[in-house]
Amino acid sequence: MDLFLQQLTNGLAVGSIYALIALGYTMVYGVLKLINFAHGDLFAIGAYLGLTLLTTFGLSQYLGPMGVVIVLAVMVMGLVAVVGAVLERVAYRPLRQAHRLSAVVSAMGASIFFQNALMLVYGARYKVYPHDILPKNAVSIMGFEIPLVRLLVLLTSVLMMVALYLFIQKTRIGTAIRAAAIDQRAAKLMGINVDRVIMIVFLIGPALGGVAGLMVGLYYGQINFTMGWMYGLKAFTAAILGGIGNIPGAMVGGLLLGVIEAMGAAYISIAWKDAITFMVLIAILIVRPTGLLGERVADKV
Amino acid sequence: MKKMSVFMLVLMIGLLGAGSALADDPVRIGLMAPLTGAWASEGQDMKQIVELLAESLNAAGGINGRKVQVITADDGGDPRTAALAAQRLSTQKIVAVIGTYGSAVTEASQGIYDEMDIIQVANGSTAIRLSEKGLKHFLRTCPRDDEQGLVAYQTLKDGGYKSIGILHDNSSYAKGLADEAKTLLDKDGANIVFFEALTPKQNDYTAILTRMRASNPDVVFFTGYYGEAGLLLRQKMEMNWPVPFIGGDATNNPDLVKIAGNAAAKGFRFLSPPVPQDLDTPEAKAFMESYRGKYNGEPGSVWAVLAGDGFRVVAKAIEATGSEDPGKIVAYLKNELKDFPGLTGPISFDAKGDRVGDLYRLYEVDAGGKFVLLP
Repeated sequence: MDLFLQQLTNGLAVGSIYALIALGYTMVYGVLKLINFAHGDLFAIGAYLGLTLLTTFGLSQYLGPMGVVIVLAVMVMGLVAVVGAVLERVAYRPLRQAHRLSAVVSAMGASIFFQNALMLVYGARYKVYPHDILPKNAVSIMGFEIPLVRLLVLLTSVLMMVALYLFIQKTRIGTAIRAAAIDQRAAKLMGINVDRVIMIVFLIGPALGGVAGLMVGLYYGQINFTMGWMYGLKAFTAAILGGIGNIPGAMVGGLLLGVIEAMGAAYISIAWKDAITFMVLIAILIVRPTGLLGERVADKV
Repeated sequence: MKKMSVFMLVLMIGLLGAGSALADDPVRIGLMAPLTGAWASEGQDMKQIVELLAESLNAAGGINGRKVQVITADDGGDPRTAALAAQRLSTQKIVAVIGTYGSAVTEASQGIYDEMDIIQVANGSTAIRLSEKGLKHFLRTCPRDDEQGLVAYQTLKDGGYKSIGILHDNSSYAKGLADEAKTLLDKDGANIVFFEALTPKQNDYTAILTRMRASNPDVVFFTGYYGEAGLLLRQKMEMNWPVPFIGGDATNNPDLVKIAGNAAAKGFRFLSPPVPQDLDTPEAKAFMESYRGKYNGEPGSVWAVLAGDGFRVVAKAIEATGSEDPGKIVAYLKNELKDFPGLTGPISFDAKGDRVGDLYRLYEVDAGGKFVLLP
């Protein structure tokens, strides 16, 4: 039982990061029907920018650990959002009317560009976040210890996801995003500026990806210019698992994926961890082709 | 006056031509390295080191009065890219090529170089099979996996551990080493309680560590790379699990300590050929001085330094034989070169082109995060 609970928290912490990244995939897909393959690299950019900001401004001299994290998170979100918006403007908007495959190829090109740009700017070696930013204490819950940072990662992700969900459901802009996701032309006829909606989606998605990158850097300490690929792949899987295009789906998919991985490693085989994960994905897609929370989209496309 | 200088020029060219037909034609040596991709840090170190050595060789007069020109190609750490890089290098009139790092990558290029009669001196490709194919022009400055497996077995045996966990990362190198050590340990009837693989580049290994902890090993032998090793050490400490870790030679990189932090890395041991920082030879000292002078730091890993050794033995062989004939150079390297003072200790090659001698040492990380060579 101990082992089970331990693995559950392990899985939830990884899963919440997958979920944050998955939100970016799913939002873009929802509105544009485009898989933004460069999204994983935006996440890596977030991790690197966080490190640069942390080391150049020496924030930890003026603020407590929580203050540092909050200020960093806000700055990283802002910067990565700008990168995301520029990406949309440069790589995707000119192809808006083109065949969908062209946009996918453009996305892959952007991914390769970002990855190599990171390597050229920061070098190919692993980069390491300072070790003394976050407190190292563990919290004792129901008799076993969980590192405090691990709980914070989980809490932050859940908070962000809830905030995003409310934003999409309750605000005017959120309504516009949902409208554009259902039918872009009809949305245009209703007086919604679809180009602006897409721009907003490309601000929010990358901002969340960037903050996930920052959390990975702060928590695991080690970042690498190729890290976007692995996390991107996992988050993309999570988005599909939950039903791509669906925001609560991305959250459920991410958390579930993390837990399946941890449990697969714990009770079946470590080496087969990824194989098990993808087997579960296939099984779910056979039963529910649109993902766990995906709506029926048979009449679309 | 003008006529005179033209006359002098003609005379000089004539003299030079008579002295040595190729005097201002440089000796061309290729370098194939992973300058991009997942191993880019290794490849860029290789390039820096070989270029540094070529510069100082040229400053000291070159090989028999001829300058050396290094021609670099990027193999991307990927076999397909390597095959293209090998084809491109083959057309550049190179005598020899230094590299590369990954075994699978070297394997993809071996045949191409051999067909073109170009000598290849690999620096990080430790897979056993590479030198078992009977290729005439293949050598390597790194040791083979079976040697490391033997040393690992010896270390684990001498440690007197009752139960052993072995963890690899499914790469052909790490799995090969893990299998090698397991086979030897099994023969002895050692108690291996855990033998599994992790997936590299995933950052979170708590699930694996939790599982491994349940099988309660006395020691864990990890055969993968330093990035994962650093994270394992760090996450192991966060779990308050005091089990000792021993690493293979791919963990020999100062970044390991940066990733793990001093506290978590303390007491970690690994097997590796010695790095020049730890050697007392004049060659190693001179090299370290010029490296620090130019790049302001320490070389990342021993593998890049072994590329430097590859360059130095090739230059030595061309100088000694006074020829660019690959047959003569290989014959010299395999038969006549004995205990050449390398940057990583004495270098000799056997008939297969493998480096001879027991190269492996045991290192331990001290409280300040330094790698200390154990006696």
